[in-house]
Amino acid sequence: MADLRSSLRVTIARDADVVAARQRGRAVAAEVGLSRPDQALLATAISELARNVVNYAGRGEALIEAVSQVGRRGVLVTVSDNGPGIDNIEAALSDGFSTGGSLGLGLPGARRIVDEFDIESKPGEGVRVRILKWA
Amino acid sequence: MLTAQQLNSDFESKTEGEIKKLLSWSAIEDADVERIASIASVSEDFSDAVIQKFYDHILSFEEAADMFASESTLERVKRGQKEYFRQLTAGVYDQKYFAERKRIGQIHETAGIGPALYIGAYAFYLNQVGLELLERVGSPEEAFRLHLSLLKLAHLDMALALQTYVEARETTIEAQQREMSELPTPVLQVKAGLLLVPVVGTLDSHRARSLTIALLESIQSMRARVLVLDITGVSAVDSMVANHLLQTMTAARLMGAHSIITGISPTVAEALVKIGVDATSLNTFGDLERGFEEAERIMSAHREE
Repeated sequence: MADLRSSLRVTIARDADVVAARQRGRAVAAEVGLSRPDQALLATAISELARNVVNYAGRGEALIEAVSQVGRRGVLVTVSDNGPGIDNIEAALSDGFSTGGSLGLGLPGARRIVDEFDIESKPGEGVRVRILKWA
Repeated sequence: MLTAQQLNSDFESKTEGEIKKLLSWSAIEDADVERIASIASVSEDFSDAVIQKFYDHILSFEEAADMFASESTLERVKRGQKEYFRQLTAGVYDQKYFAERKRIGQIHETAGIGPALYIGAYAFYLNQVGLELLERVGSPEEAFRLHLSLLKLAHLDMALALQTYVEARETTIEAQQREMSELPTPVLQVKAGLLLVPVVGTLDSHRARSLTIALLESIQSMRARVLVLDITGVSAVDSMVANHLLQTMTAARLMGAHSIITGISPTVAEALVKIGVDATSLNTFGDLERGFEEAERIMSAHREE
């Protein structure tokens, strides 16, 4: 997708890790040169994805990478887990769908916030979501 | 390739496959295991001498001498040490072995023996073992190979112990964070019927729950009509936090109180809209002053009824 510049791995297993992943993401976003509002948006997207890991998979990790492409830089975040996976990805990506009593805005919300969004999941094999936000 | 997740997970619950991976990560091969097991009886012979030297060394330090003040403690620890050496050289590295390593790590952690002391003492120990091997095993080359094999296992041991230290530390930090998140969020009575709740910091799910409970109890005990939740001090709001706020407001409404949210920053506002939170259901006002004006309006409307 792009050159790999530097990366940061955060284990996600509890609430405090969600905060840690969000803060690291924001720090990398600032380094790469995302505007302050964009930093906050990326942090929110990471928060949504990391929260899903804690709520549904129990344990996973976020890989935060600064990437560059001709003339522009961005932040690529890969959030993955080995949890139960998602039965119906299409449903999970629609607003208001939730199996956990939440607002059901996590995945669709995160998708709206970022420039590129990619999700892979098979039931029983965990979830991997990649999001990218350009500066 | 071993993932960080596998390294981090609980050793006690390690499956056979995971243990195999750990052993191969440390390049511990069948040849190593066989080599070590082949000298089990020799090791048995010199273990007492090594352990004696080990404790002579340790006890020359005041701190350690204090720790093993009573003769019975020292005897117990020496027996444990001998049993450890027996296990190390027995050539069986299964779940039980790994669980035992973890338990020993925990004991050291609890006793306040940090990684520097632990590894330093381990180095002394391995050194003594090496000298014994040199004397008792056929050729220096054979002794050296044996020692190399032992070193692999010893390093895996140390890795497991360090992992235990880190886990114990993490547990402590988490407990402290819990404690901090349980800092009571003050519920301030501004005047009869009007409550102000300044929310500061991170709203994780645990804290959001305790906030909700504190609020609802206050509504009842202070007979509140209106409550103003000021979230100026909240660093980030995601859909879960928004959901908690919504649920708290709904619960408050059920108890007969109106809620007003103030202090949403521009970045929080943008994030909420982009995620898709229906902001109209959050009764929001730009700043605290406006929030109080609205509170007054609601309260006077109630009085006129």
